[in-house]
Amino acid sequence: MSSSREKILAAARANKPDEKPLPIVPDFGGDDSTERFTQVLTSIGGQVVWIDGPEQLQPVLKQLYPESRLSASPLFPGTVPVDALTSTEVLADVDLAVLPGEMGVAENGCIWLPEANMLHRALPTITQHLVLVLDHRRIVATMHQAYAQLPSTGGYGAFVAGPSKTADIEQSLVIGAHGARSLVVLLY
Amino acid sequence: MNHATRAAKFVGDADRTTWHDETLWFVRAKRDKAVYAVPEFQDLRELASQIKDHTLSKLDTYLEQFEEQAKRNGVHIHWAADAAEHNAIILDIIRQHNATRVVKSKSMLTEECHLNPHLLSNGIEVVDTDLGERIIQLRDEAPSHLVLPAIHLKKEDVGETFFKHLGTAKGEVDPQVLTEAARQHLRARFLAAEVAISGVNFAVAETGGVVVCTNEGNADLGVNLAHVHIAAMGIEKLIPRLSDLAVFTRLLARSATGQPVTTYTSHYTKPAAGKEMHIVIVDNGRTKQLGRPDFRASLKCIRCGACMNTCPVYRRSGGHSYDFTVPGPIGAILSPNIDMKKHSSLPFASTLCGSCSDVCPVKIDIHTQLYKWRQVLGEANEIPASKKWSMKLMGRLLTSPKAFGVGGKLARHGIKYLPYSLTHARHFNVWAVARELPTPPKQSFREWYQQQANTTA
Repeated sequence: MSSSREKILAAARANKPDEKPLPIVPDFGGDDSTERFTQVLTSIGGQVVWIDGPEQLQPVLKQLYPESRLSASPLFPGTVPVDALTSTEVLADVDLAVLPGEMGVAENGCIWLPEANMLHRALPTITQHLVLVLDHRRIVATMHQAYAQLPSTGGYGAFVAGPSKTADIEQSLVIGAHGARSLVVLLY
Repeated sequence: MNHATRAAKFVGDADRTTWHDETLWFVRAKRDKAVYAVPEFQDLRELASQIKDHTLSKLDTYLEQFEEQAKRNGVHIHWAADAAEHNAIILDIIRQHNATRVVKSKSMLTEECHLNPHLLSNGIEVVDTDLGERIIQLRDEAPSHLVLPAIHLKKEDVGETFFKHLGTAKGEVDPQVLTEAARQHLRARFLAAEVAISGVNFAVAETGGVVVCTNEGNADLGVNLAHVHIAAMGIEKLIPRLSDLAVFTRLLARSATGQPVTTYTSHYTKPAAGKEMHIVIVDNGRTKQLGRPDFRASLKCIRCGACMNTCPVYRRSGGHSYDFTVPGPIGAILSPNIDMKKHSSLPFASTLCGSCSDVCPVKIDIHTQLYKWRQVLGEANEIPASKKWSMKLMGRLLTSPKAFGVGGKLARHGIKYLPYSLTHARHFNVWAVARELPTPPKQSFREWYQQQANTTA
């Protein structure tokens, strides 16, 4: 409806105030320690486990998720091969997704997960449990530094902070709403 | 029905009112704790306010930039002048795909446009997937809070609703068990949905992408499984740069629930391979508000709900008493813009204490705008005659020292001697309906002051 487009733009043009400056946002510095990241992530329901390196991944996972049957990961051959065209039915059965995180933010415990690291866009939320593998040197202090390091957000990408949760029933915190029921970050 | 009449119903249940008040104050206290942990929080508020002011001052340019960028990303852009057009566009997209099963994540804009009834009446099954939204959808109610849509309900109410609709055990009130039942129920809807509708928290002009913030992950699950994603955004959601998101994501969840950030902060920029993404850009009165200098700052609102959690009137009267999509202090300044007659009592549903402005993450002068709306409503003859005349009378009394002195004397003796039935006559003195009158002092302050002056002289 191009007429509505013209109408809205014309009204915005006619009614807008005199131009105001766009501020420069400072960096603010901050604490980028793994301790801070761990403390915040734990406080929002996530868990941090240190590993020596990506090669140690599988034994650690076996220990953490002895019950897991259907796993998907770009880091090792999982039991469910997942790509962008995997059907919803197959995705719905995945109980463990192990994905490489790109960057962590200490102030709020979130991890940047770009589309390229997900296999399928729905995998991080449809899986029952989510593991993100992160190089501890990729932790920054604040969101300012995080966005400064993002060249673009790709087609899709999410900052993930902890497991899916809700407090919609009488403000009682319940972990595991619709997305992953748990989040473990494997730091190396 | 005005705000006071609707609020009277809510206040009738004293226990529930107290519980509501305490629950929201708990959220406000969590907000304070989260805010104090960020040394530059006040700087962030100022920056957010300036970024929004700047964006509004170039809104047309940014809208065009956003559209151009989004189209380049392969996103379909639609423009809706009002609610009816918004609903028609969305129904049209759904029909083009011969779809009937739609999942929706939280969007106050679709509430504002009454999208659900429109789709339902056209044979589309639309399921709200945010837990709180789903609860009120099953109960056929409206949200009573921006962020906590079912905050007016107790777990017994939810248990009863789920017993009736989701087959949980009678008397089940454990939030964990109830949430799990909703998870299973909604998962089936997610897997079956052909189209997913989401709201928009922020739209970035520079990238043409939209950002959606949730704790439950319902937007991501719905959008990333369905073939078609429709995002509905008000024109005021724009921000210029990707880096500006740093400012707003640091403010939003801390102000809303006291969390350091929402669990999922998701950036939708391009459709997935073989799928479709649509963005509906909606005006619905917003450009009109842009043209009102006294009230345009309300367009800076990022819908965190902090003003509600702190408002002494909202906490004690409940969100439904406002009878508007956005309740509380921010709703009370947005609603007269939409319908001045219908919502004329809302700018008076406030103490003007200023607490709402103090917690607003984008520094909207909420209480000043409430005060200004009262002037506008007064001039437009939209306030009740009794209030108007009593204010006029008080105005005269207060500007004449002589009349004030005489009036004070009359009142001091009046209260003492007038019968209770007269001082507390329901229709004559509304103020005394829920209050006792004070014991009148023997002398006025002026008499006392004079006496002091005489004794010390």
